[in-house]
Amino acid sequence: MILGRVVGRVWATRKDARLGGAKLLVVRPHGVYEPALATGHLVAVDHVDAGVGDDVIVALGRPARLAPGGQAGAGAQPADDSHPVDAAVDAAILGVVDRVELDASASARPGAAPGIRRPLPALGGRA
Amino acid sequence: MIRGTIIGSVWATRQAAGLAGRKLVLVAARDADGRASGRVVVAIDTLDAGAGDDVTVAFGSGARNVLAPGPDNRALLCDAAVAAIVEGAA
Repeated sequence: MILGRVVGRVWATRKDARLGGAKLLVVRPHGVYEPALATGHLVAVDHVDAGVGDDVIVALGRPARLAPGGQAGAGAQPADDSHPVDAAVDAAILGVVDRVELDASASARPGAAPGIRRPLPALGGRA
Repeated sequence: MIRGTIIGSVWATRQAAGLAGRKLVLVAARDADGRASGRVVVAIDTLDAGAGDDVTVAFGSGARNVLAPGPDNRALLCDAAVAAIVEGAA
């Protein structure tokens, strides 16, 4: 998972059926994580009713692909709602961050991430 | 899996189903030479690792097996989990 901030929302009417009514949010990863495609942002399905300005936890890759419960396209979701369907998704928001605590000694150690030594300004106000 | 160092913790009250109560840690990833790569990832920690610990982090479907082994774990929304606390490496 990575940390990022919700900076916008995407609407789409014509889309893969298994996306159903999924809410799509634009997330800008925090500076300590560079997105693989160097786009500076990613679009993620929202499972926790996050909003613009929220700091969020985003899961990437195959584990993110389950369709939002009960919102899958007609016929795609099993009747008992217990099994997720494979959706055209590779990023999903799984939590809204309340607080981040950095351990000063661990992050200052040689070998720790160089970028983490500076404060995380986007997260500072949410302690 | 990757190697990394735990540098902090993350708290989130609003979480996807199945993850409630799980401990989340910030891990600074290392590159192939053991140096800091500059990337930081969030991982679920079931081993009670602490800040400063060197760990390996499993990504993708393997991370769900750390949380709940078996074919029934596909509904877990988790792509990174601490798989081991490293005591030594050569």
